[in-house]
Amino acid sequence: MTKTPRVLLIDDNPADVSLIGEASAGGKYQTKFQNFTDGEKAISHLRTIGQNAEAAKPDLVILDLNLPRMNGKNVLAFLKTDRELRGIPVVVFSSSQSHWEISHCYELGANCYVRKTGDLDGFVSAIRSIEEFWFGTASLPEEG
Amino acid sequence: MTIAESSVRPGSRPRILVIHEDTTGNDLRVREIPYSASAVPTGERSDSTLDNWLQANKRCPCGPRKAAEEELACKVEELARSNRELEQFAFVASHDLQEPLRMVAAYTQLLAEKYRGQLDANADRYIDYAREGAMRMQTLIQDLLAFSRVAREGTPARSIDSNLALDVALENLRCPIAETGAVIRRGQLPSVLAERSLLAQVFQNLIGNAIKFRRESPPTIDVQATTTEKSWMFSVSDNGVGIEHEHSDRVFDVFQRLHTRAEYPGNGIGLAICKRIIERFGGKIWVESQLGEGSTFKFTLPADSIEKGGACR
Repeated sequence: MTKTPRVLLIDDNPADVSLIGEASAGGKYQTKFQNFTDGEKAISHLRTIGQNAEAAKPDLVILDLNLPRMNGKNVLAFLKTDRELRGIPVVVFSSSQSHWEISHCYELGANCYVRKTGDLDGFVSAIRSIEEFWFGTASLPEEG
Repeated sequence: MTIAESSVRPGSRPRILVIHEDTTGNDLRVREIPYSASAVPTGERSDSTLDNWLQANKRCPCGPRKAAEEELACKVEELARSNRELEQFAFVASHDLQEPLRMVAAYTQLLAEKYRGQLDANADRYIDYAREGAMRMQTLIQDLLAFSRVAREGTPARSIDSNLALDVALENLRCPIAETGAVIRRGQLPSVLAERSLLAQVFQNLIGNAIKFRRESPPTIDVQATTTEKSWMFSVSDNGVGIEHEHSDRVFDVFQRLHTRAEYPGNGIGLAICKRIIERFGGKIWVESQLGEGSTFKFTLPADSIEKGGACR
């Protein structure tokens, strides 16, 4: 992928948002992140995109689970049942290690689940792997 | 107080037995009331002999024994509830503590990587201390979670072959065994009532400790089991540094360590987890050791021919 990948980042923790930005900045993709700090705002933004065929869809959604008001799994369920939006790959990026929670995300249609690790190196390598896979290895729907 | 009246066959003498508390209120006695035809209560009719006797021996239904029993039941319930709350607390606290701690750990590491040498030497040192503290707390929380998980999760005890549990433990310890040249001797082990992964964890923690707390020479570890009347007693013996007798109870407490982290790494959770697992299956664990003479950890588990009743949760 040569163009600048666009990522919709739904995460309410500014420290994580900043860390994701740092990790990406040191990588090989010039990813542009658009951050939403709660599920409702993210949903209403995505709805406008869904209704407007001209609006640019993000290449990837990175979604935290623990969000204020509408939690991450509700956002995931909405995205994966919406006809216009369900083609956008969603990476759930959360610190939860609960097997139940991880399975549930896949059942709701998550394209992958990546755990936020406690150590910086693990965190940075998780972000770079996500970028490498989705923007390097995988073919995305828009590209055909 | 209960009055037991047997049916009276014609021609036989009816007997009246009274079950009552003794004078201390702590025990029950059975006593026969002297019979007289008029003393037998029939229907609504009452008799002064029996009434008097009953009056004289009357105790409040909530007498000392009953009150003590109720209080005991109350305390047991209170303790169970408090334990449940503590479990819940340990889990929630450690789970929720991880999130902010992750921030502290990640950002102190980022500070250390990006700004090393740009402040002064003191600043670099402070950042290192903060970072090490955060990282150590992460391992403590992970350990606390592992400890609380023993009580919250897992299947009930069933008959398992403890040889297989030992196999799992030795497989997990393959690297440290190879690195230290440890020699493991193992006897034939029995089937016991437990859970395989938890028993494997007990073996792994005990053998792992035997390797960790070794002396100069390569560790020699002996795993055996002997039968007692209703249970099996396992022993894991080593030729390591040993434990002073005065610490032989303390080593099983959470986060208790006998050495500095520089001497031996670790948080002091392994034996506490062992104790929790063994007690969960109705067994006991202890250590026999002398400083410099090696240690023998022993634990009991119910044999699988015994009914589970009470021993296992």
